[in-house]
Parts: sequence; structure tokens; C-alpha cells
Amino acid sequence: MIQLHNVSVTYQQDVCALHGISLMVPKGDFVFLTGASGAGKSTLLKLIYAEIIPNRGQVIIDSQNISRLTRSELPPLRRSIGIVFQDFRLLPNRTVMENVAITLEVLGLGRKEIVERVTRILTQVGLEQRMQATPCRLSGGEQQRVALARALVNEPKILLADEPTGNLDDENKARVLAILKEANCRGTTILVASHDRRLIASSHKRAVVLERGEIREVHDGAR
Amino acid sequence: MGRAKFLFGPVAGRGGIVGLIGYFFRRSFLNVRQNLLINALAVVTITLSFLIVSLFLLLYVNLEGAGELWSEKVQVTVYYDRELNGNEFSALKNVIMTLEGTGTVGYVSQDAALKRFRARLKGQEALLDGVPPEVLPASLEIRLKPAYRTSEAVEAYVSRLKKIPAIGEVQYGEEWVRRLTLFMNFMRFAGALLGGFIALAVLFIISNTIKITIYSRREEVELLELVGATRFFIKMPFLIEGMLQGFLGALLALVILAAVSWAFFNHAGTFLLFNPQEAGLLFIPMEYCAAIIAAGILAGFIGSLTSLHRFVNQS
Repeated sequence: MIQLHNVSVTYQQDVCALHGISLMVPKGDFVFLTGASGAGKSTLLKLIYAEIIPNRGQVIIDSQNISRLTRSELPPLRRSIGIVFQDFRLLPNRTVMENVAITLEVLGLGRKEIVERVTRILTQVGLEQRMQATPCRLSGGEQQRVALARALVNEPKILLADEPTGNLDDENKARVLAILKEANCRGTTILVASHDRRLIASSHKRAVVLERGEIREVHDGAR
Repeated sequence: MGRAKFLFGPVAGRGGIVGLIGYFFRRSFLNVRQNLLINALAVVTITLSFLIVSLFLLLYVNLEGAGELWSEKVQVTVYYDRELNGNEFSALKNVIMTLEGTGTVGYVSQDAALKRFRARLKGQEALLDGVPPEVLPASLEIRLKPAYRTSEAVEAYVSRLKKIPAIGEVQYGEEWVRRLTLFMNFMRFAGALLGGFIALAVLFIISNTIKITIYSRREEVELLELVGATRFFIKMPFLIEGMLQGFLGALLALVILAAVSWAFFNHAGTFLLFNPQEAGLLFIPMEYCAAIIAAGILAGFIGSLTSLHRFVNQS
């Protein structure tokens, strides 16, 4: 479960990115974070994977307060979270397969298991023919799916995706959404930051609308 | 798929510590291959740095060798205006040998002294025609052990020598010994100072070169942190890579210097006024070569460690 209690984040002392946010995401939920650019969607995701620490309030992930985590407690938490970055963050010198395998190498899995699991997830995202390509040889949609595969390959408890459908055509958007829903069906809690209102509406999932660092409204996503 | 199978080794947890170390080495070699250009540039920079170090050492070793060679000429001579008989020489030699610092003691008879003098006048031997051997003194030539060849040590030795009864007039070329001592001391001081500066500069260059290679891959470091890698897991391949760069750089520098030295020692005689081989010029001793390689590995390790400390803690 993800819990945010009265969380505020200020950048460079005076730029307020989030202000008094309280949010609860139960285990297995699928939530969209939406709002205009600068509303605080990415900042909220960064709080959950502890890239930043709140100036005020508490962020609790599976009963762990991220402000109180020691250096040795942080890696295990991050291993339970899959992240799809807005800029993909694929390593240009490594192949698609190696990019996806990073998550499993960190977990310490054996060679055979890594190859099996990477092959399975790349097949699932439709990139089984592109395993030996480097990211620069892939289209934007393919790079997006590699990033998604890397985040999902270790079957994380939580998946955070920052604009996973940005700059994708409708076919690729639907494909990405289907992959996310499938992961959600297997029990992964999913938080997606997106400003794509059509995608959110078509997903029928809960949506939290952010505006200038505050929660403006919450749609329950029911049909 | 075929190539990929070789990329992933058994890593932490499943393969134990041996598997983990194996993984780190495989990852490091793979990183070198995947970032070939930046690694090659780093190795070239380290090679050039170590070429300066090893060239300096080569000069130092040969100057030190020349100094040692000259210092062998330091000798104390005791003159007698008559010949010593066998018993007298043996008795004196036994007493002198008990003095601390004595290397060898030799006797030069008046006849031998005249022959030596004649040899020095090569081409003008006729000048000595009719000169009887008694004109020149007989002498004892005492060579000192290497540690006793400095100006102060020779002075102290001579004062102890003079206390022996039946010792004749003692000479040892004070001015020459003083100049040699001064030269050796200056060379050692300048060598240590210059060597220290070069070592610092090289460490700085290597550290910054490696910092640039790591900086160019900071995204990789950040990503590894975000997918939950421990700091140890992130740092190890980079540290091995740094040590590998340092090792290769130092090794290449030695290979290049060895090749250039070999060419110089064997062919410089044709265009120089002296033959380097006959002059007794030497390559850097093996222990110095080993020290250069070790310094390369250490510099690579320190360079990587300081850079990683900054990047890993920042993200």
C-alpha cells in the first residue's frame, strides 16, 4: 500500500512542487495521476521511489517511511518498484536484452533464469525480434516498450510510469495500456502519470487530478 | 540470443561470492568493450603519463648507476718510501681489514707503480728512460665498501686508519670525494623532489581521466541506483575497470619504453659519440617495473573510487 500524509515538496527553497498532498493507493489498485505540466505528477512519483524526500509530511510504502530509510534499506525498496521514466533512461551501449536484464542482474538471478524471463517479457511487449538491437535503432514506441519491459521483468509490487504513452500513436498507446492492465491483473499496484485525458477516460481507472501541487479532484473511474 | 547467453553470469545470491566476483569481472570486461573509445582514450592518457614516470626512472637509475661507478674510484692510498716485505704487508692488511668500511686492500710495489706511470704516458714512455723504480713510492690501495664512500665517511675512516702504528702518508683525493658526494646528494634530492611532483601529476591526470570515463556513464550509475542496486554492486565493475585501465596503461608504457630503450642501446652507437652498451646503460630493474604496474593498478583504483564516491552519493 502507498500512503501520502500531508506531503509537501519544495525545490530550491521557494518553488513549491507539492503542497499538503494526502493520498492512499491500496494494494493492487490502478491509479492515474493527471494534470497540466508542472502540476506535480512526476514529483509525486519521485517521492514514491525515494529519489526525493518530502520537506513535510510522510510517505509510507508497504509500512516503510521513506524519510527514515537507511542507505541499506533503500535498494530493497527500489527492487520492489518498477519505474518507467518519461525519458526512458535506456543505456545506449547495451542491447535491448541487456537493458531489460539490468533489473534481474541487480536481483542476483542466474544466467538461465535471466535469459528466460527477459525473453518472456520481451515477447509479451512484442519485441522478441529486437532483442539484440541497441536503443538508438528502435522507434519511440519500441523504446517505450523496452522501458516498460525493464520495469515489469521482475514482477514488482508497484509499477510507476511517468507519461508512458507520451508521443505514441493510438495503436502503441493501446498496446502499452493493455500491458499495464495485464500487470495490474497479476497483482501489481500501478500509478501512471499522464496528461492524456482520452487515455485516462478510456481506461476506466481512478484518476487523481493535480493542479499547482495540490489534489484538485479525484475521479473514481467507474463506467 | 546466442551472444546474450554469455553476458549474464551467476550473480549475487545464486552463485555465491565466487559467482559475484565472476559477474563483476565479466561486467567490467563487457563495459570496456561497450565503451571502447572512451576506455581507449583513458588507456592512452595513462600510458603517456606512465611513460613520463618510467622515462624519469630510467634516467634516475642510470645516473645513480653512473654515480655508483664513479664512487668505486674512491680509494684511500697509504704511501711508503720503501718496499714492504710480505710479512709487513700481511700484518698491515690484517689490521686494516678489521677497520669498519674496508673493502679490499692491495699492495703496489715501486716497480708496479713505475709500470703504471709508464702506461699512463702512452706514446711518451721515453721520458721515463733511466728513471729508477725507487723514485716512486710503494703504496697500499684501500677500496671502501659502498656505504663508506661519502666525504664524511671517508674522512672518519682515514682518521681511524691514521691511528694504526706503522701507517705511512695517507691520501684520498678529498676534493674529488667531496664533489662526488655533493653530486650524489643533489641527484637524490632532485630525484625525490621531481619524482614526487611527477607522481602527483600522474595521479591527478589518471584520476581525472577515469573521472571523465565514469562521468560519461553517470546515467548508468543513476539507473542502477534507481533499480535497486547496492552501492557495492554499482561500484565494483567500475573499480575493476579503473584498475584494468591503470594496469594496461602502465604495461603499455613499459613496453613502449623497453622497445625504445632496446633500439637506443643497440643502435645509438652509430650516431652518438659513445656506445650506450659499453657505457653500461641499464633498463629499469624488474622490481621498479613491478612497482610501476602496481602504481598503475592503484592509481586506477583510487581514481575510480574517488569519482564513484562523488557520483553514487550524489544521485
